[in-house]
Amino acid sequence: MTLPPRDDDPQFRDLLDRVGKLPRSIEPERDLWPGIKDRLSKREVRSAKWQWWVVPLAAAAVLVVAIGIRSWRGGEAGSWAVLRLAGRPVVGDAHLAGSGRIRVGDWLTTDDSSRAMIAVGDIGEVEVQPGSRVRLVQARATEHRLALDHGVIAAKVDAPPRLFFVDTHAGTAIDLGCAYTLAVDSAGSGLLRVTAGYVEFQWQGRRSIVPLGASVATRPGMGPGIPVVADAPAALRAALASFDFAAGGATAVRRALTAARAEDAVSLWHLLERVDPAQRAAVFDRLANLFPPPAGVTRDGVQRLDSAQLEAYWKVIKRAAWRREILRSIGKRDGGSGTR
Amino acid sequence: MPAAVPRDSGRAASVADSDALLVRRAQGGDDVAFAEVYRRHVGRVYAVCLRLVRERGRAEELTQDAFVRCWERLGQYRGESAFGTWLYRLAVNVVFEAGRKDRRRQDRIVTLADPALVEPERDPPVRAAGLGIDLEGAIAALPRGAREVFVLFDIEGYSHDEIAEMTGIAVGTSKAQLFRARRLLREQLGA
Repeated sequence: MTLPPRDDDPQFRDLLDRVGKLPRSIEPERDLWPGIKDRLSKREVRSAKWQWWVVPLAAAAVLVVAIGIRSWRGGEAGSWAVLRLAGRPVVGDAHLAGSGRIRVGDWLTTDDSSRAMIAVGDIGEVEVQPGSRVRLVQARATEHRLALDHGVIAAKVDAPPRLFFVDTHAGTAIDLGCAYTLAVDSAGSGLLRVTAGYVEFQWQGRRSIVPLGASVATRPGMGPGIPVVADAPAALRAALASFDFAAGGATAVRRALTAARAEDAVSLWHLLERVDPAQRAAVFDRLANLFPPPAGVTRDGVQRLDSAQLEAYWKVIKRAAWRREILRSIGKRDGGSGTR
Repeated sequence: MPAAVPRDSGRAASVADSDALLVRRAQGGDDVAFAEVYRRHVGRVYAVCLRLVRERGRAEELTQDAFVRCWERLGQYRGESAFGTWLYRLAVNVVFEAGRKDRRRQDRIVTLADPALVEPERDPPVRAAGLGIDLEGAIAALPRGAREVFVLFDIEGYSHDEIAEMTGIAVGTSKAQLFRARRLLREQLGA
């Protein structure tokens, strides 16, 4: 910004500098939300009271809208609604002007400047980011399935677990009640990052359960790696990547155990199942040292991969991971809001 | 390995939800999502209202007006800009529309073409340690036109073109008001 000629004295520059540092956000001294909510509801009531004729009209309009929404979202069997968000997405072989439908077998393709939103039946939505190619595989009430060839999607599903699936070259992401982003590159390698709830990623019986705040890398022909939490140490990430995808073996496991913290229990728990039996005791010992197991979970039981004991251990680990991530998010938000 | 993992997230907005997701949910009539939108943005909206009108009670009313307007017009938000940018602009418009109504009600027309015409209505700034003046107090004590342009340009980062569009003044007037606001603040700093 060019200052007027007389504004170049240091005192005034200091003032402008301080003005620039004024808080952009000031919290009101009282909660204004109840008043807003009250006004929103009163507007609806007043309008209904004063203009009686609006009631049947509104009811008809609501009916039409409801029918429209139902029709838009999932009224047509074997297809889902799709909405253009930016640019010129292509569904099948036609450009999507505003909204339309994607049918089973259709591909949705976005170029570098296009985005689209797919309504996942009545249970959620998937935002397809630029440079992506997605196919609708199945659109049934009991199975909602997409295939992501490459690109990035952000999914949010509000439904019981295991109703929404996304196939990739490296396996399948299975919704367990969650929101997540999934990126797949041109070689078919992927990264799944969970932003709410949990996601399971599965390939030929190899499974990773990814909780809120964690991510997992995937590779074609190898499936999912071991999930890591957002702030996992670089040394742990490197060791796990070596173990998962570079045949790092016992050396990689030892490095991972050394680098792991209590916060990395999610990773160590997954490691229990994947290491050679000869190393499992060492993984359990390290995990138990960092994150003590609940009553009833024993070294012998884990060594035998007793499913009930592993599940009991997982329950306490995932609960702690979830709580920690929520607190971490709140702390990060409060710390960076600039409020006073 | 557990057969199924129960969900920990329900209808309540997740802290991890992005603005875009919340807005889409609110556009679908989800008032829980809209409450989260309010909680995330109320500080910025209130700040701009307070600095433009100076009175806490009036700023609270206008903040509420802005969110009511936001709810009514959510359907018009297409995601072409960040949601916050859209909302703060809407809030500024609410403030200026309210100001115009108030002035019409008082049957008093003040032209902003000549900044000198709105010179009065200054309160003495509150002094504070360190800077020598309380910045917020000094800004609040600026004449209305100068204060509005200063808040929008120097604090909120709008361009003169945008300010002209929002306030109904000419671009040249906006620049003159900014120059004047800075001059007045400099005088207060030197006082």
